[in-house]
Amino acid sequence: MIVFLVAGTTLLYAAEPVSVPLFQEETAQSGVTSVYAGDWQYMVGGGAAAFDCNGDNFPDLALAGGEDKASLYINNSKRGGSLRFDRVESGIELTGVTGVYPLDIDGDGTMDLIVLRVGEAVLMRGLGECRFERANEAWHFDGGDAWWTSFSATWEQGARWPTLALGAYIDPKSADNPWGSCTENRLFRPNEQGNGFATPLPLKPSYCALSMLFTDWNRSGTPSLRISNDREYYEGGQEQLWRVVPGETPRLYTDAEGWKFLKIWGMGIASIVFPNDTYPSYFLTSMSDNKLQVLKSSTADAAPTPVYKDVAYDRGAVAYRPYTGTDLKPSTAWHAQFEDVNNDGLFDLFIAKGNVDRMPDFAAQDPNNLLLQRPDATFQEVGDVAGIASFGAARGAALADFNLDGKIDLVVVNRRASAKLWRNVTAEAGHFIALRLQNDGPNRDAIGAWIEVKRGDQMIRREILSGGGHAGGVNGFWHFGLDNAKSADIRVIWPDGTTAPWQTVAADQFYRLRPDQRPFPLVP
Amino acid sequence: MVSSRFCALKITLGKFFCVLALLTMGSVVPAAAASAEDVLHKWLSLSLSLIRHTPTYTPPVASRALAYLGVTAYESVASGSPKLRSLSGQLNGLNALPAREAGRNYDEAVVLDAALAGVMRDLFGNTGPSGQQAISRLEDDFKKAAVTGGSSSETLTRSEAYGRAVAKHISDWAEGDGGGTIENMGFPWTYELTKGPEHWVPTNPLARQQQVPLLPKWGENRPFAMPAGTSCPLPPPHPYSEDPSSAFYKEAYETYQTAKTLTPEQKTIAFFWADDAMASPTPAGHWVSIVLQIAEHDHLSLEKQVDALARLGIAMADAFIGCWHEKYRYDLIRPLTYIRRLISPDWQPFILTPPFPEYPSGHSTQSGAAATVLAAIFGDPYPFSDRTRERDGAVPRSFNGFIDAAKEAGISRLYGGIHFRAAIERGYEQGKCIGGYAIALKTWL
Repeated sequence: MIVFLVAGTTLLYAAEPVSVPLFQEETAQSGVTSVYAGDWQYMVGGGAAAFDCNGDNFPDLALAGGEDKASLYINNSKRGGSLRFDRVESGIELTGVTGVYPLDIDGDGTMDLIVLRVGEAVLMRGLGECRFERANEAWHFDGGDAWWTSFSATWEQGARWPTLALGAYIDPKSADNPWGSCTENRLFRPNEQGNGFATPLPLKPSYCALSMLFTDWNRSGTPSLRISNDREYYEGGQEQLWRVVPGETPRLYTDAEGWKFLKIWGMGIASIVFPNDTYPSYFLTSMSDNKLQVLKSSTADAAPTPVYKDVAYDRGAVAYRPYTGTDLKPSTAWHAQFEDVNNDGLFDLFIAKGNVDRMPDFAAQDPNNLLLQRPDATFQEVGDVAGIASFGAARGAALADFNLDGKIDLVVVNRRASAKLWRNVTAEAGHFIALRLQNDGPNRDAIGAWIEVKRGDQMIRREILSGGGHAGGVNGFWHFGLDNAKSADIRVIWPDGTTAPWQTVAADQFYRLRPDQRPFPLVP
Repeated sequence: MVSSRFCALKITLGKFFCVLALLTMGSVVPAAAASAEDVLHKWLSLSLSLIRHTPTYTPPVASRALAYLGVTAYESVASGSPKLRSLSGQLNGLNALPAREAGRNYDEAVVLDAALAGVMRDLFGNTGPSGQQAISRLEDDFKKAAVTGGSSSETLTRSEAYGRAVAKHISDWAEGDGGGTIENMGFPWTYELTKGPEHWVPTNPLARQQQVPLLPKWGENRPFAMPAGTSCPLPPPHPYSEDPSSAFYKEAYETYQTAKTLTPEQKTIAFFWADDAMASPTPAGHWVSIVLQIAEHDHLSLEKQVDALARLGIAMADAFIGCWHEKYRYDLIRPLTYIRRLISPDWQPFILTPPFPEYPSGHSTQSGAAATVLAAIFGDPYPFSDRTRERDGAVPRSFNGFIDAAKEAGISRLYGGIHFRAAIERGYEQGKCIGGYAIALKTWL
């Protein structure tokens, strides 16, 4: 007799022990009270951006507020102490904000923000000390009038300004019957004058993009644009991969080139390079089944084709229904992000979960997931024992080391409820290094660079990206767990293709990396 | 923006799609009182959208909803028409509906709107926030329009109350049929697979819910017009065999070979009739869409429309019950499993294999039932064009009649690689049998 017990599948992957991290919720004392508010037009979005806007190395927070104003919180935590933020007037206090991404757009060394809204998207120029001003006109950026829900950026080779992709959702004016009304995604390339952006190009067909990510999936040196689309609202659509070659009109990868038809309720994209792998893999959030896509085949003597295999179940990256609580209905997954939360040298996966809005066929009590990666590249759910299994209607999130203690903390944005923060208080976490890239020239954040960290026979790679997740992202220190190693060999492949020499750095330090310079410790 | 002028210029089959387009483009604000025909078309058009966008609405569930909506529309109209008789006493479990007040005026559009809105709320109570909003807005639009139509406030109030009473009666009736509660998207929490190489096994390892088959008890639901799910039984499929000279192997090889050598026309047909859950209005919705197009093109009377929609819905819902009963009686392996096991381990069908047993073909059974009913109502041949899948990129197709269309729908499953020929041919025959019960209903006085 073969009996399928649909519930409890995580037990299948629970054989091998992992070092379980411990998180302590510090929402109340953190000072963060932001709510992602609003009704129908805010059923998606709710992004969080973590970045340093005042130069103290502590990641500050910008949070989407929906119908409420967006908010900026300065991080006043002490190193290794409790999480403490203070809300300040920053200039980003706009209503209708669905998402926020940090990026030094104009290359002046001060972080700027891309603010996605229901209405006009706004570029906010960083003025320093966590002050921002609108820069659409100054940078010739046409923010349009759409339900903006996704973003990604790249620097095309030789460009002095980034290329921005903005993804739109359904037509807000089609509330009577919104299906099939996906509006136009846009690609903003630098203008010829070198002072901002040209008239945007449409990325058509557009299929209600909830996440976008420029990523060099084939290590060609020219990133392509992945778009994850919400099948709920498109007709005839699918997931997309755009080939974006400098000077050329973007075009979609086709079935003939290997890109396979896939329809999901695409909500978020997270990128990971598994240990010793060369190419990135991607976790795609959706309703019920999520996807963990690894490049199907590649050989040294042939360029890879964009053929992916879904290994979510093979590897235990299972998040299709709640793993704790009494609600067994299918899950709804939003933001996803890979970070090493226990510093064992393996990137783990956080997934924000939450019902869209009173959908009775999906879990109402839908816990966030924390899937720890094990040495064999499989995953194990530990969200409940790690302490982050909240049951709010989560949307966006950001994982970053908020108190600079070398352990990744967490903020989650919730719909119609306050955001929540957790401090990572794992006692037995491994060693770490945190690396901030500072590139010469306009691409200050070195978007498109690769960091390689070698420890024994294990190589960990990380592509430096801007975009993805659900409506928000991080920019700042890039965190690597080192397990019990006291040092690591690191190198950077900079966006122009220059490969820096290997350098050995001591563990448990924060470093600034610049081309042709030795790693510089930033935090005493 | 789709303007009313655009709609007015359409000559054939245009208005139904203008309704769809206007709904989609967010321009539905009836400027004047809506006709009962408008009410009927807009609610049914919305139901086709919600079927596509409500996660529990797999094809059997969709057929049930369309049957109840058809009967609701029919009873709403029949209660005020000297031409039609009620289906109460003819359909299983349907008792006499509330009567109208003698000698009082009713606004037929308001009656129909209140009845359909009530049943829509009941059937699609689990749809997402966009669906809930669309239902509310359509209700509001018709309410606003009704007051401009010349009926007195007393008539409007009476009509709305009556429509609500009809809706409640239908909803109460529906509650006891066994199909009203769908848990876990229709996939049972636990399920025991039948032992033996001939029996169904999961075909999609990447979809967690689909490791068990869809709605295994659906064949036990209360039918509408036929006595029971067992009323139109089928002979067993060919005996399972792995011998290349056996009928079973030969049929499997035919499916394999056909899928390997598909012509562009065969691919077009497979896609046109794929009618997958969450990607289309499902097979039953496809046939309702055909009737709505014909109604517009041929300027059918309201009575004729509700008669066709009710009996079509009943036949298709019964077809899914009868088909599902046989599917789980025989629990046959899918071509995907058999062909990969014995012929070609990497074989891929052209369309997705649905997560339930193979025999008989659901689309064949319900298309057979649909064609049987529609041929009886409209005659056959009856040329028509079908634009149902146009917005998904499919070119409209023209048919000589309903039977031609049903046969094409059936063979599309062979082209798609998800059925053996016997399931298609016998499914169609089962559909004819089931459709006979809907034909036998007395609707005209």
